[in-house]
Amino acid sequence: MPLSPIQPSGEPSAEPPRALRLPFDPLLTLAVIGLGICSIVTLRGATKNLIPGDPHYYVVRQGVYLAVGLVAMFAVSRLDYARLRRFKNAVYAVLLLTILAVLGIGHAAKGSVRAINLPLFSFQASELGKVLLILALSALLVDRARELRQRDTTILLMIAALIPAMLVIAQPDLGSGLVYMVIAYMLLFIAGASWRHLAALAALVVVSAAFVLVAAPAAGIHLLKPYQTERLTAFLHPSSGPRKEATTEPTTDPTYQQRESKIAIGSGQKTGRGANSSQVPLHFVPESHTDFVFAAVGERYGFVGAGLVLLLYGLLISRALRVLVMAKDLFGSLIAAGVAAMLMFQVFVNVGMTIGIMPITGVTLPLMSYGGSSVITTLLAVGLLQSIYVQARASAALKGRVLRY
Amino acid sequence: MAVVQRRIGAIFGLFFILLVLAAGRTAYLGVVRGSTLRRAASNQQLTNETVTALRGAITDRNGIDLAVSEPARDLAADPYLITDALGSAQRLAPLLGQSQASVLRKLSEHSGFVYLARGVPASRAAEILALKVPGVTGTPVMRRVYPRGPLAAQVLGVFGTEGRGLAGLEYARDATLRGRSGQRRVVSDAIGQPVSITETHAVVPGSSLSLTLDANIQQRTEDVLGAVAKVYSPKDATAIVMDPRSGAILAVANWPQVNPNDPGASPAGALEDRAVGFDYEPGSTFKAVTVSGALQQGLITPETPFNIPDQIQVADRTIHDDTEHPEETLTTSQILARSSNVGAIKIGGLEGASAFNGWVHRFGFGAPTGVDLSGEERGVTLPLAHYSGSSMGNLPIGQGELVTPMQMATAYSAIANGGILRPPHVIGAIGGRAQPEPQGHRIISSAAAAALRHMLEGVLAPGGTASEVSIPGYQLAGKTGTASKIDPATGEYSKSAYVASFIGFAPASDPKLLCAVVVDEPQAGSIFGGTVAAPAFGQIMSFALSYLGIAPG
Repeated sequence: MPLSPIQPSGEPSAEPPRALRLPFDPLLTLAVIGLGICSIVTLRGATKNLIPGDPHYYVVRQGVYLAVGLVAMFAVSRLDYARLRRFKNAVYAVLLLTILAVLGIGHAAKGSVRAINLPLFSFQASELGKVLLILALSALLVDRARELRQRDTTILLMIAALIPAMLVIAQPDLGSGLVYMVIAYMLLFIAGASWRHLAALAALVVVSAAFVLVAAPAAGIHLLKPYQTERLTAFLHPSSGPRKEATTEPTTDPTYQQRESKIAIGSGQKTGRGANSSQVPLHFVPESHTDFVFAAVGERYGFVGAGLVLLLYGLLISRALRVLVMAKDLFGSLIAAGVAAMLMFQVFVNVGMTIGIMPITGVTLPLMSYGGSSVITTLLAVGLLQSIYVQARASAALKGRVLRY
Repeated sequence: MAVVQRRIGAIFGLFFILLVLAAGRTAYLGVVRGSTLRRAASNQQLTNETVTALRGAITDRNGIDLAVSEPARDLAADPYLITDALGSAQRLAPLLGQSQASVLRKLSEHSGFVYLARGVPASRAAEILALKVPGVTGTPVMRRVYPRGPLAAQVLGVFGTEGRGLAGLEYARDATLRGRSGQRRVVSDAIGQPVSITETHAVVPGSSLSLTLDANIQQRTEDVLGAVAKVYSPKDATAIVMDPRSGAILAVANWPQVNPNDPGASPAGALEDRAVGFDYEPGSTFKAVTVSGALQQGLITPETPFNIPDQIQVADRTIHDDTEHPEETLTTSQILARSSNVGAIKIGGLEGASAFNGWVHRFGFGAPTGVDLSGEERGVTLPLAHYSGSSMGNLPIGQGELVTPMQMATAYSAIANGGILRPPHVIGAIGGRAQPEPQGHRIISSAAAAALRHMLEGVLAPGGTASEVSIPGYQLAGKTGTASKIDPATGEYSKSAYVASFIGFAPASDPKLLCAVVVDEPQAGSIFGGTVAAPAFGQIMSFALSYLGIAPG
């Protein structure tokens, strides 16, 4: 339901010109649609040979996901996000239950249980969980708006974030778990938690990372699976892994993955290799339709294509930050901050991974990577941004009128 | 609220830095390192492979394969890459068919490259490579297989591991058989599966050679030579079967045999084709040349009587007949049939040194016959200027000149085919295109040739030197030769080392088949051409005449 402004009785309603009351943020929408087109175009080239005899398998499905996601985005943008605050406990319960359901009855793919197979697509609870977590944590912070700088708030929020994060990491889906933590940290940061708390949390992260990656393995305790440790540290020593024998499974060696990805992006040079691409179509770059889709862009369309994609993300995230600033209330700001944090983290960790400056953590590139859960979740999040934008505009217009009259 | 504003500002700043970082790094990869990385991309996807051309097959006149090629691999190892030499040797040895110790020795060499085995058949090589022993690689090559084993091995020659023919036709016709290797560009995907193959230089397969040899006659000829060798234990022996009308060679046999599939296992020198490479003093078989000349010049007729004493004095030398006999009168025919030295010297004397020397060269001696076999010798003839007073006492009876069996067979072919000297040939067709038959030229009249053929029938008739040899239904003609070899130690004619030979043809009136048998140094039993070589001639001809369906006559 769009907001219907309460009008003073007896006063004639002075509708502002219709053009100014677009029901969505045009730039945000432009970025989203642009990225969707980039995704379709890239996947068309990268997945041509993936399923023999069905070159359009991934393109068609991604198109459907994008369409469904856009419809959902517009639906959400018509909602007043503020009403969701009331359902925060239900939202948090759904978040935990879906993740637990995946752990219980999920479908194993490539060594981890992350999804439940539904008739049309496999439902990845950890993706939808990102949006649910943003809502739940934002509502929690708004509830404690008067105690934002207190230690209890920080601890409570971190616990609320850590429970789903740990469950997700146990799937194992380290990337989504990290996204959850980053969202929580960003919310605390924007909500105005004290610097001491933020610094303590940062220190805690550094210490536990060191413990998990260095100290615990040295003591014989492996908290992460060996492949996860290897992925996380591979980017630090890019040339140490020997070229794997071509006949063995190459996609399991993170050094190999990252080198091939860099070769793909570099070999695209300025304007790309187009139909002469080889790294992606010949499967040298693994997961080139999901995690390494940026490498597919870089090889096929060169720096021009990769730059365009980065610009669109720049537009998307800057709009998210803009929505953060213009939101009419703290709840809206926090939701926008969480979405912005999610997008920033995923974009830069994913892109950084393909260009060799970030570890391989298995986060998707929002909207570009193939996958229904990721695409629809991202568009739901953007829908929330749209809703915040619409409400903020409406509220400003109302205030403007009140001022005038 | 100021705190929150600052923090939002910090987020904007962080976002901007990250964006610049990502774009900068992408630009660095694509612009600065772009060409390096593009080369890296093609290096791991593109390979240029040499495609070895299939070597042409060699077949007999009926298309029976004598030499064929099949894909194989040279297997090599890089011992520096072998981590577990003993374990690798244990796995490789049984498939390589080598002892574990020898494989281990190769794998332990201080070298970056060592051949494990060469020319391993493709299927076996695939099994070995499937073991995935690190450092073991296979290079595609062609492997030469001789399905009939030692059959005509000296004609075919051998094929070396370096991809070249080393002897025989494999060597002489290497360029024809080899073809031209091609190049192809292979694009492979990440797991090494080729996704596209472009031929950059087309492969030209080698041309096949279709020989005039007949595998069955060849086999029979080799069997007969083997039997002769068993009885007389010669140093070596050779035989030629040809069609005197066309010069097409049907068989060229050599003893001892050699297996071209494993040439290293044969005695040294066994690979030489003695039919073209053996220079020997022909002895009495040469008397036909002496008589032909006199006949053609009209100096004699087959019936011309000669007074033949037991011995004859030429300058400072006295030459004897083989057996002591009272002075008698023999016709030309009888001189040939009994192989009288005195008679042949008298006929040579009628011609005179200059004319005789002319006939020697007209019959092709002292020059290669032009046969398309490799390794042909030209023989040695005494230049006229070097004739001494006694030369005409030994040259007319086949002493003092060196000839090859092929030269003798060619000369007798001229007698058999009515007077045309024609280079023999063994290659019938190259790559399916029939080769033109070599042109011959007339050296004696057909009448003289016919008269000579008739006279040579007497050799196999009662009283002749090969009277025991006959084939029912066929009139044979030919000439025996028993030449003592020069003892290299003394420089004199040996009393123990002889070359026994026989050259003949059938049917005598219209010869369609000619056979020469030359046995070098028969040791046991007999040394005479009539007893050692002539029976072999009889056996070979007996088979070949009926096999070829030649009408008796």
